[in-house]
Amino acid sequence: MKIVFTPDWFLTSDVLIDTFSFVILMLLFSLAFRSYKMSKNKSSLYLGLGFFLMALAEVSIILTKFVLYYDNSITAQIGAAIVTYNVVSTVDIFYYIGFFFSRLLVLLGLYMIYKIPYDAKITKDFLIILYLIFVTALLSHSMYYFYHLTALIFLASIIANYKRTYDETKMKTTKILILGFSVMALSQIIFIFSKFTASIYATAQMVQLLSYAILLALIIQIVQNGKKEKQSGNNPRHA
Amino acid sequence: MERKRNRVEIIHDMLRIIQERGGRIRKTHLMYKANLSHKQMTSYLEELGKNGLVENFQEKDKILLRITNKGREFFVQYSQMREFEKTFGL
Repeated sequence: MKIVFTPDWFLTSDVLIDTFSFVILMLLFSLAFRSYKMSKNKSSLYLGLGFFLMALAEVSIILTKFVLYYDNSITAQIGAAIVTYNVVSTVDIFYYIGFFFSRLLVLLGLYMIYKIPYDAKITKDFLIILYLIFVTALLSHSMYYFYHLTALIFLASIIANYKRTYDETKMKTTKILILGFSVMALSQIIFIFSKFTASIYATAQMVQLLSYAILLALIIQIVQNGKKEKQSGNNPRHA
Repeated sequence: MERKRNRVEIIHDMLRIIQERGGRIRKTHLMYKANLSHKQMTSYLEELGKNGLVENFQEKDKILLRITNKGREFFVQYSQMREFEKTFGL
């Protein structure tokens, strides 16, 4: 079975894109955590946790791909596996665990971003959702598109939530947030077809890179707006 | 009806008002602008002073308040936090 769909010419870019995604997710986590420290708003904490889980997923995928693409000793082991079946099992298990954890963490992170910030609590059905996410991550090894489809559903739900927020606030930053998650959802659609040609996988990764670039623009905008805030109308609410 | 401000929001409002006045203000002006009672303002100013966010200084025969660098930093961080929470609808 094919483990990854990355074309050879895209190997370095692939790891670099994942590293960039990791940095952006950590920045979002730190913003959310700093908000929590200041406001003690648990929704911020859970939102941050969602981004942190996704960042951990990126670490898992980077390490796995790094070994897969660049570690010659592993490559040699794969060669040796032609004669020794046990070696190929070991190598397979390493990749399997690496990709399994990355998928599990991304789905968990997306679920938290979708669900918990609005309830600020873990509901009774959390265990069921956790189980379904676990099964999805497990099944995605043999049916890779299953993972991308699930991520797409979570992303669509997240976008619907933020659309409601935008309708209420009409904030430019929420608009950028919706755009970022929409491009990420588009990347998941393209990933579903990545089995057919290697260049589709590369395109999906590039679209994902674009989505994280949009989220970086969002972070910059939030930080800048905070710096230049001068609320008009000296009419503080009653103390 | 407007909801009540929490402690951090009141502190942020006070710092914003001082900033809008060029970083310095009379205590009575701050009290009216921030919509606080004398008792509330004394208590908040004590806290702000203890945390080094504002300081008293004398100009001619008047005692004025001014925002410190730490106060400005806090103001920016709080504004960013509010911007972040509003963006995500939290």
